[in-house]
Amino acid sequence: MTIQGGVQYNKIAEIKGPLVVVDDVENAAFDELVEIETKDGEKRLGKVLEVGNGKAIVQVFEGTTGLSISGTSARFVGKLMEMPVSKALLGRVFDGLGRPKDGLPDPIADKFVDINGEPMNPEQREYPKDFIQTGISVIDGLMTLVRGQKLPIFSGSGMSHNLLAAQIARQASVVGTQDDFAVVFAAIGVQYSEAEYFRRSLEDSGALKRSVLFLNTADDPAIERIITPRVALTVAEYLAFDLGMHVLVIMTDMTNYAEALREISAAREEVPGRKGYPGYLYTDLSTIYERAGKLQGRKGSVTQIPILSMPSDDITHPIPDLTGYITEGQMVIGRDLFRQGIYPPINILMSLSRLMKDGIGEGSTRADHSEVANQVYDAYSRAQEVRALAGIVGKAGLTDIDLKYMDVGDVFEKELLSQATDENRTIEETLGIMWKIVSKLPKNEITKIKDKYVDQYYKEE
Amino acid sequence: MVAQGKIVWVSGPAVRADGMSDAKMYETVSVGNLKLIGEVIKLTGDVAFIQVYESTSGLKPGEPVVGTGNPLSVLLGPGIIGQLYDGIQRPLRELSKKSGSFIGRGITTTPVDMTKKWHFVPTVSVGDEVTGGSVLGTVKESELIDHSIMVPPNHPGGKITNIVTEGDYNIETEIATTEKDGKTISLKMYHKWPVRKPRPIKSRYDPTVPLITGQRVIDTFFPIAKGGTGSIPGAFGTGKTVTLHQIAKWADAQVVVYIGCGERGNEMTEVLVDFPKLKDPLTGKPLMDRTILVANTSNMPVAAREASIYTGVTIAEYYRDMGKDVVLVADSTSRWAEALREMSGRLEEMPAEEGYPSYLASRLAEFYERAGRVRAIGSPDRDGSVTIIGAVSPSGGDFTEPVTTHTMRFIKTFWALDAKLAYSRHYPSINWMNSYSGYLADIAKWWSANIDKEWFNIRSEAYGILQREDTLKEIVRLLGPEALPDEEKLILEVARMIKIGLLQQNSFDDVDTFCSPEKQFKLMKLFVDFYNKGQQAIKTGATLADIRVMSIIPSLLKARMEIKDDEMSKLDQLEKDMEEQFKSITGVKVSN
Amino acid sequence: MASNSTLEQSIDKVLMKTEKEVLLDLKNSGLDSQQTLDNSLPKLEQEFDKIISDGKKEADKIEKQIIGGADIKVRNKQLLLLEEGVDKVFAKALDQISNIDRSGDYANLINNLLDESTKILGTTEVTVFTNAKDKDVVKSALSKFSGAELSSDTIDCLGGIIIKSKDGTMTFDNTIDARIDRLKPLIRKEIASTFGVGN
Repeated sequence: MTIQGGVQYNKIAEIKGPLVVVDDVENAAFDELVEIETKDGEKRLGKVLEVGNGKAIVQVFEGTTGLSISGTSARFVGKLMEMPVSKALLGRVFDGLGRPKDGLPDPIADKFVDINGEPMNPEQREYPKDFIQTGISVIDGLMTLVRGQKLPIFSGSGMSHNLLAAQIARQASVVGTQDDFAVVFAAIGVQYSEAEYFRRSLEDSGALKRSVLFLNTADDPAIERIITPRVALTVAEYLAFDLGMHVLVIMTDMTNYAEALREISAAREEVPGRKGYPGYLYTDLSTIYERAGKLQGRKGSVTQIPILSMPSDDITHPIPDLTGYITEGQMVIGRDLFRQGIYPPINILMSLSRLMKDGIGEGSTRADHSEVANQVYDAYSRAQEVRALAGIVGKAGLTDIDLKYMDVGDVFEKELLSQATDENRTIEETLGIMWKIVSKLPKNEITKIKDKYVDQYYKEE
Repeated sequence: MVAQGKIVWVSGPAVRADGMSDAKMYETVSVGNLKLIGEVIKLTGDVAFIQVYESTSGLKPGEPVVGTGNPLSVLLGPGIIGQLYDGIQRPLRELSKKSGSFIGRGITTTPVDMTKKWHFVPTVSVGDEVTGGSVLGTVKESELIDHSIMVPPNHPGGKITNIVTEGDYNIETEIATTEKDGKTISLKMYHKWPVRKPRPIKSRYDPTVPLITGQRVIDTFFPIAKGGTGSIPGAFGTGKTVTLHQIAKWADAQVVVYIGCGERGNEMTEVLVDFPKLKDPLTGKPLMDRTILVANTSNMPVAAREASIYTGVTIAEYYRDMGKDVVLVADSTSRWAEALREMSGRLEEMPAEEGYPSYLASRLAEFYERAGRVRAIGSPDRDGSVTIIGAVSPSGGDFTEPVTTHTMRFIKTFWALDAKLAYSRHYPSINWMNSYSGYLADIAKWWSANIDKEWFNIRSEAYGILQREDTLKEIVRLLGPEALPDEEKLILEVARMIKIGLLQQNSFDDVDTFCSPEKQFKLMKLFVDFYNKGQQAIKTGATLADIRVMSIIPSLLKARMEIKDDEMSKLDQLEKDMEEQFKSITGVKVSN
Repeated sequence: MASNSTLEQSIDKVLMKTEKEVLLDLKNSGLDSQQTLDNSLPKLEQEFDKIISDGKKEADKIEKQIIGGADIKVRNKQLLLLEEGVDKVFAKALDQISNIDRSGDYANLINNLLDESTKILGTTEVTVFTNAKDKDVVKSALSKFSGAELSSDTIDCLGGIIIKSKDGTMTFDNTIDARIDRLKPLIRKEIASTFGVGN
């Protein structure tokens, strides 16, 4: 929307943290885009957080370093922050605010779209249920991803989450369709090398021409990170819902996003919630994650894989905690598995895909999928209990059946979980391995699978 | 005189306007050039503090604010059933006709179709005395709902001077008039009621009848009564929403109000897709014909999330007043509390624990107080109930946080979800050691009168096994299972069987998703019998190893999904087989 | 807004003139792009033959990479050339505007710009800045705005005005440069579609 505007105000009352308070403002709107001009004519972007009683509080995306009270001015642009969108964005690289970073000109816009988007009408959503085959057994078999889902990777510092996300981006396909597929990648405060890894991975697989990259790396302004996921999702929505593409959005690292939000909240002296994060962190995160989905009567979809590193590997930390309440499951990277050199080191017991139940079964994967997955989960959970017990009482204190479960745990980790980064398994292969694991147990222990499937697939060795 | 002021300040969903001395507390107002919907939540001098139910992006100081003179209200009349509303009763289907796939702003619609004709059958005649709440007639609202058209509760009463004959009318038609002290009042098929004000009742009853949900761990171990209150707290991934959906699907109520308060959009879509396909187990009619959804998803404006709880409970009370049992599910009250916290922060109120306002506890209490089994006002006599089940999403799964602790003070059934159980895929992950039900004693009478006289004793035995397992587990953790004698190992074994075969329930399995009270009892009794026979067998010389290999065990464990509610004879057969097998193992031992 | 349409008319006029010329440029650049693609094809075939023995899967992968890479190179070249075209059109348009006749319609334009600016600032107590060329036109237009003063400092712009409230707190830039800047994304889209390029 456009608002009558364009006035430049020259009276800066206060600069604190990422905020500039402008005085004597008569004509400014909430959320309006602001152009801050320094004494030397340098321009920075910001937006209105609060306006009234002659004051406007402006959040400056590129930070306030070098700004002074005198000589700084703020022009209220008269519109909300918008991203130009067009098909020609594919194959391009932008900075965290959506400006070209590849030396090419500004994109010629098909249209300009408010980066905040509008909430999807729940009545107009289409319930996601198209199975995405990632070719990664542990995901396809036990935490199936579907089109339009938001399924984050919870990781910790230094672990192989980016490797995994890149493999998903390369291999993800929906069996039996020829629809256009695109990747939108948003780097949020990650190291340059990580962003570069992604870019190269897309390039090597020939996927770069159907990708759009937004890069805010560790040395870029922190407050810009508030915008990065939003411009990325604005483009994703356009590609999906205007052009009918199936878009996979990878955002890494959402922890940096939340920290930028905390910085602004602290500067505004708001009452903090847990660990200093603002009380509205949940709502704010939801305005990002809830932009995943499918819509009735439109062809495309937006699937999100946000990546976040859990501070001190703590899953109860507010960022993973609130994320988990919004997203439709989570894939948790386990430190122990990572240390053992297992890839992908996904801790299946802590992981889950909520939309799996509707994406699998007859017609998409196989009728026995849900039950065999339940049994594998159950068996691996028992295996972990037995391993813990063996640590105390020794193997000698275990019953025969306990030992079988230990065996199951090993087979699971070696054959189902472990996979090369360029290994692309079909769902049939994956289900085969799952039955192999289940078949390690005596039939008496199979309590979650109906007899008819046991009769069909169980193979005693 | 309606207030007409001007915006002086905007910050997110909070707006201040001056020139508002005519505004009333909780009055709805139209905000800005876009005519956004807002509500006055604080008045200081001529400045009104307004929470706006739509996004305020682009709103400017100087834009107009106009009062409506009315508090935030819902429209109550036929046409509500089967709807999906936002937090302020705007029908989302209608909104999509005006703004497409995404929710636009400044859109007004009526909550129900005002032109649709309903077949009205009067039940009063000219000359009858009516009071507030009295039934004037009925309308068939859906396959499942006979909708009583009632005199508004705040009506002064009087004599019917006119009533339409049976026929088809839209809800704007005058269907009756009353007269008292020379004053005539016109009545339509609908009225409005302010959401923050509980609808009046004649009297309350103790909740003693169970709400049957078909979920074994709930009905058998931690039951809730019709008109009662329950809470289901759990970290993410513990299956809170699935459990609530199960209750909304299978509870033996006539009306279900499901409030998606700050939760995922796809969850509401799932209900919209599933419910019309599912059949009510009692009547065989589509579940959507008894369901009303209120959805204010997490990314929709936060102020409307605060209102959604009240919108939902007012609609629930309305159907209660018709004499119906209504279940209200609110997912999640934590998000509602966060909305309170956010508005409180913007009001710059003094925060209490974790930034929540000091009135959090009293607001929670007021909300849960709107549950109850009641006698409605007016004639004829009608008894109905509102059962409130609120989800809590404790941050970090920590049950000591303010929303959980305050909620525990006002509810009587507590279903504690346990992340550890969820991680091991034990669903529903209701922890049997930390959960409780304050209705157990009263509800036991119902079970013994309707299902089996032995219910309470068998349940105590089953629960006892679980309790003893809990203590024994500590020993096993230290010394390993081989340190226990067979009698105690059997406890562990049977507890495991109870967990797998009784407590666990697969909501996605066609058979297991709902379990009749009869089957619940039978299954439970089988496990308790197994335990007693097992102890007996051990006493007479059998070993645990003999028991473990009995082929009856997998059959018992799969009975929940292999045996349908109408195949109870198969359970009897299992019982017989079990007896045979025990006989054979003890037999062998004795002959040795 | 009247001032808007005057401006747009001028730009339109200029656009028509330059369009032909730039179209020719673009045709050439299109040929260039084709050349790039043509060049990459033999290279592709070469690579293809070389690796065909390494197995089909690997070959597919590399085929994708090379085609993907070549596609992007061609596309990016097009983008750059298009931008060159757009810049040329702009440069010519701006050149024309800055040399536009300062009488008649132009005085009207200045009047409109002043009117709009003072309304937005909500005061006529302003200082007005303009360039040397427009000084006289602005001066005569100012008589209608009581309290408005022309600054003796001139600014560097194509035309139009900047006004500043006398207390110095507010400025509104209504130079032709600023207005074109605001319109630029839309104008670029127009030009691109005239060339039949873009998406």
